[in-house]
Amino acid sequence: MIKDISVMIAGKAGDGVLFTGNVLAKILKRQGWEIVTYRDFPSNIRGEATNYTIRASLKKIHGRADSIDVLMAFDCDAIFHHIDSIAHGGIVLCEGSEVSRMTPADRSARTFHAFPMRTLAKEKFGNEIYKNMILLGGLCHILDLDLSVISQVIKETFLERKGPDIVRRNIEAIHLGCEKAKKIVEAHERHLLKRKQDVNRLLISGNEAIGIGALVAGCRFFAAYPICPATEIWQWLIHHFPQNNGLVVQTEDELAAINMALGASYAGARAMTSTSGPGASLMMEGFGLAGMTEVPLVVVHVQRVGPSTGLPTKSEQADLLQWIYGSHGDFPRIVLSPGTIQESLEFTIKAFNLAEKYQCPVILLTEQDYGQNYRTVEKFNLGKIEIDRGKLLTKKELLGLKDYKRFAFTRDGISPRALPSMKNGIHMIEGNEHNEWGYRDETSRNRTKMMEKRMRKLKTARKDLIRPRIWGDKGADIGVIGCGSTLGPIREAIEKLKDSGIEAKFLQIRTLWPFLDKEVRDFISTCKQVFVVDNNYEGQLAQLIYSQVRPKIELESILNYSGHTFRPKDIANPIQKAQ
Amino acid sequence: MMEEKDFHLADPTWCSGCGIYAIFSALKKTSVTLEMKPEEMVVVTGIGCHGRLNNYLKAYGFHTLHGRTLPVAQGVKLANKQLSVIAVSGDGDAYSIGLGHFIHAVRRNVNLTYIVVNNMIYGLTQGQTSPTSRKGFVSKSTPLGSKESPLCGPHLAFVSGGTFIARGFSGAPKQLVRLIEEGIQHTGFSLIEVFSPCVTHNLANTYDWFRKNTFDVDQEKGYDPESREKAWKFLHNRQKLAMGLLYQEKGPSFDDLVLPMKTPLVQSKMFFGQKKLDKILEKFE
Repeated sequence: MIKDISVMIAGKAGDGVLFTGNVLAKILKRQGWEIVTYRDFPSNIRGEATNYTIRASLKKIHGRADSIDVLMAFDCDAIFHHIDSIAHGGIVLCEGSEVSRMTPADRSARTFHAFPMRTLAKEKFGNEIYKNMILLGGLCHILDLDLSVISQVIKETFLERKGPDIVRRNIEAIHLGCEKAKKIVEAHERHLLKRKQDVNRLLISGNEAIGIGALVAGCRFFAAYPICPATEIWQWLIHHFPQNNGLVVQTEDELAAINMALGASYAGARAMTSTSGPGASLMMEGFGLAGMTEVPLVVVHVQRVGPSTGLPTKSEQADLLQWIYGSHGDFPRIVLSPGTIQESLEFTIKAFNLAEKYQCPVILLTEQDYGQNYRTVEKFNLGKIEIDRGKLLTKKELLGLKDYKRFAFTRDGISPRALPSMKNGIHMIEGNEHNEWGYRDETSRNRTKMMEKRMRKLKTARKDLIRPRIWGDKGADIGVIGCGSTLGPIREAIEKLKDSGIEAKFLQIRTLWPFLDKEVRDFISTCKQVFVVDNNYEGQLAQLIYSQVRPKIELESILNYSGHTFRPKDIANPIQKAQ
Repeated sequence: MMEEKDFHLADPTWCSGCGIYAIFSALKKTSVTLEMKPEEMVVVTGIGCHGRLNNYLKAYGFHTLHGRTLPVAQGVKLANKQLSVIAVSGDGDAYSIGLGHFIHAVRRNVNLTYIVVNNMIYGLTQGQTSPTSRKGFVSKSTPLGSKESPLCGPHLAFVSGGTFIARGFSGAPKQLVRLIEEGIQHTGFSLIEVFSPCVTHNLANTYDWFRKNTFDVDQEKGYDPESREKAWKFLHNRQKLAMGLLYQEKGPSFDDLVLPMKTPLVQSKMFFGQKKLDKILEKFE
């Protein structure tokens, strides 16, 4: 019985690959399966090759699989391109004419079903667009998916936007595909998927979870410039901010986005911006202003592949050091790295509290992988959300002060904050070095004290930061360290290794800065061998650990800069070889 | 009742004779006339000699990065529309490093006032050519004379959908007070460019030079600032630079359109209950 299945839908941009995949993901989710999607799209609207993989499993899964079990191909190129990724015993559904062009070796190991989806779509509906649903119908027969569930999903997807007629035609197309498959596919070629209850679960992307996190954390101001792969955050917020007296502003560029968010935060709103790649580079200037002026700010950076424009729609972790060391000058900043969708939500909420408590910029560093892809998660339960605005003075407290100092030298480095409109709180916010009242002061005595005051906030913040998490058997000798999206493939690699008798544990770093060196040092000290997994070329996480921890043993880097995320085997194999 | 001294934080230390004194004085006068309160005013400045204004004018102040004055000012205003937000830039801040923000702020039309202190030179950095320097202008950065044409802020504002475009002169303080007053009262983005001679570094564009090379549209008989045709004509005068209220268009501001609720955004409810969230989450089930 199949317990884990990966279905790839491949074609050209414009074929409706994403849409078909999303429908399939929803259907499988409703059947009670765990879902992870993986999109591999070009930065192009039409014409270039594109594919989307839906992985479904009866057990917990955390990322994409090592291989593809079913390929639904809209063209011949797709088959040639992906044939090597298809597991032996796998299934290929395609129009038909391509099959004869496959080598006997390719054909012998996999089942090819010639499925005249385009012909059928044209014959029956007079429009090729229905090929997707016809093909999906074929898959439904093979996997024994519940047709009533499918009809329901189609209804939810189309009814509001396209009307009942389109819903009917799409459902017809699915039935047509299903009927056709009954004639083509032999009974022994079917793989009947088990059905489970789907209770209290969501199918959601990290970007959407961040949008939700911001809304429930009390964020009401968002300014950004459109950029892949961060735009979904905005597109989610734009539908939910207006009715909550919030505002989303499309700015002229990322310089404006970060500075506008900064202005709104200074005025007292919880404000956020989001970006990626080149946009993050433009934000470096404003990032420093936030640090210097001690105005709270949350920046979401959904990492894509750089440098420059790079690979705009693909995933990488090459911007870690940018936010830790970036912008000119020294200033305090907090950099968080969620590893799952659930953490994307939780860390967003946490980010707003940290930003206001420590009056500094907080970067939520995520990745295209779990930013744009969907996963099943347990339904979000907020419990009691704490909104901690730190040392924000009330009007009454401020009136009671004799000589209000916005940047007062305090033991913990955090100074009381007043907002414009408050009486007795007039002060200046200054990007130049300033004194306790906020006015420019370039004396070395003031500079030294003010610098130490600002930096002291990070020391105060340490106790409040999100600690690393250890996964796997704590007694194992082999340690793996990673952050962000590598969580999925590392956890699955560890399971794989266990199957071959190798025990390993995984330290998930969740706060990148300030670096929690003690926890990492302690972890390393319990290992005989440590692998650091970096989805980048230069091993940025490993570099960070070297500089902050100075480990006694050599760390072994497992790197990937292919424009794709790791698969479990990409991590398990090098560890196995090193034994 | 407030008095001018209530807005006076400290005596300025600009060069004696600097045009910014007139702007400082006009801002204090306007604040009194319009019955503003220092704590309800936010003055956002950029980098340049004008940026010292926050040190002298009593109000909440934000001295930002070079060129980023307007993004910060818009953020402040949109977050709390009950504040009076006045942004101040120099010609370098507004028209060079911050030019992209300038035209977009104009077309966005957030309800704030923007004063551009135009001295046709970079004063703080000791005298380089600016985007408004005249062609042939000799400075430390263009010793052989500037080969580039000057940029006209009011012109750009006009073609970018500006709804209040005015130009004043530090040598005409009464008109300046009136223009700033009208600008603050205008619903939407009001641009008041002020010719403000730099007496230390710009010995070409002096008070006298401005007197000779400008004309005042407010003195034109029957001038209607709501006429696009006339504004266009005045802005196009090749011989002399137009001054006064050049163009005004009445209508809703960006804030009116995007923030219809009466409560300012900063006062909106932050708490979000599980029930409301469950409703939102239905789509993901």
